[in-house]
Amino acid sequence: MDYARMKFYCDEHRCIECDGCSVACAEAHELPVGISRRKVVTINEGIEGKEFSTSIACMHCTDAPCEQVCPVDCFYIREDGIVLHDKDKCIGCGYCLYACPFGAPQFPRDGAFGAKGAMDKCTMCAGGPLETNSKHERELYGQNRIAEGKVPVCAAMCSTKALLVGDAESIANIYRTRVSARGHGTVGVPYGWDKAYTK
Amino acid sequence: MKKIVYFFIATLALASVAYAAESQIWGEMRIPNILGYGQEQSLKLGEFFTLWQGHYITTIFLGILILIPTVFGIHYLIIGPKTFSHEGKKILAFSLYSRIVHQIAAISFIVIVPTGFIMVFGSFFGGGEFVRICKDLHGVFTIPFAIVVIPMFLMWVKDMFIHLDDIKWLIIVGGYLSKVKNPVPAGRFNAGQKTWYWLATLGGIVMIATGATMFFMDFDIAMVKNITGLSQIDTLRAAAILHNLVGFAVVILFFVHIYMAVFAIKGAVQSIITGYMEEEEVKILHSSWYRKLKKQGKV
Ligand code: SF4
Ligand code: SF4
Repeated sequence: MDYARMKFYCDEHRCIECDGCSVACAEAHELPVGISRRKVVTINEGIEGKEFSTSIACMHCTDAPCEQVCPVDCFYIREDGIVLHDKDKCIGCGYCLYACPFGAPQFPRDGAFGAKGAMDKCTMCAGGPLETNSKHERELYGQNRIAEGKVPVCAAMCSTKALLVGDAESIANIYRTRVSARGHGTVGVPYGWDKAYTK
Repeated sequence: MKKIVYFFIATLALASVAYAAESQIWGEMRIPNILGYGQEQSLKLGEFFTLWQGHYITTIFLGILILIPTVFGIHYLIIGPKTFSHEGKKILAFSLYSRIVHQIAAISFIVIVPTGFIMVFGSFFGGGEFVRICKDLHGVFTIPFAIVVIPMFLMWVKDMFIHLDDIKWLIIVGGYLSKVKNPVPAGRFNAGQKTWYWLATLGGIVMIATGATMFFMDFDIAMVKNITGLSQIDTLRAAAILHNLVGFAVVILFFVHIYMAVFAIKGAVQSIITGYMEEEEVKILHSSWYRKLKKQGKV
């Protein structure tokens, strides 16, 4: 069976910086305080004509750098490209964060001696290696909406439909249609895709 | 005592201030961090770290772990250990103070080095609780080492500067390639010990600083930024790279140090426990020092 490659895309012409995605994510997955898997950022702030906002989380990169550096090999990449990790194996060393181009991995400080706890990042609402939709999986990784056939909560909640998630081809089609509908700008690569999906 | 307590409180206060400040990684700083990744004018530390950690670090550590003991094994079989008479007189080589300082550093290293290896080969051990405990021990045992590293530096520094003897010593590799017991050119410390001293103290301080950087991770200390000129995320990447590179050198010389003290010179380890070295051992392995002691009438 051929799996589709899942990608995130945030349309910077539509994002109104409402922070809805970030809040929806934190609520849906009951994230601890101080952890936000998704963050809305404004780039080129104050530079006229160049300023835009976009929503950033783990991009689920091709040849994910985090996976390459993890000393305990706790990452696994699903057939559909979703990058997940095993929190029971993770030692909280921080290496994945150093390798990540997007600053996605985060660390609650709950270990002994104020040490970093297991790494937390966006799962594209696909849970973790534990039994699907079990209580244990939900506690460690949050909801597993993908297993239920639902769209990740951030994209589902986005009021302007700036934030999209889906298989690469559909996303690319929507992107192309939107760019040509606007009648200006060239069809390049969406923001962040150069670092996440070029390999 | 009071001073130490104040120092402790001040450090804690400083650390909490540094923590309380806005996140240097996931806050507003995340934008320049993302934009800076892989930029032409940057140092490309993110990519460099990924490449190194992803492809070479573990292999190099494995190479060290296999190669160095193999070399020692061959040396032990072909040339064998040096044995000195334990019947003769003994010379006081290390004061009680220097022995205690050294022992604290030794115990720290005995925990830090193996736990470091376990983290490097974390996937071999399956990660999880065991490797996590090793990570915590690696950090905790840095504290005693951090306390003694400066006293250790100061107590021996005057004997550690390079001397003509050291070059001669290096040329004959300290006499370890031959079985004959000819006097070896060396003062109180030979060139090998001096190299280890500088690496263990100065390199040790680099290991403490880079390790602490990774442990505390999200801090904001202006001094660090002024010195490195790097963003916090790049500081972390540089720390990880340095910690591993200096780590290579430290573990190699640590292995050599243990081999010398425990295997290559029979009973040498006793000198740092009791403080006394065999007179014959000093006469052969530290011939210049022996001559000096003789002139001073101390032997
Ligand atoms: S965005 Fe970061 S954490 Fe996510 S897959 Fe890419 S490198 Fe890994
Ligand atoms: S923090 Fe966890 S997931 Fe990240 S590299 Fe270290 S062990 Fe792997």
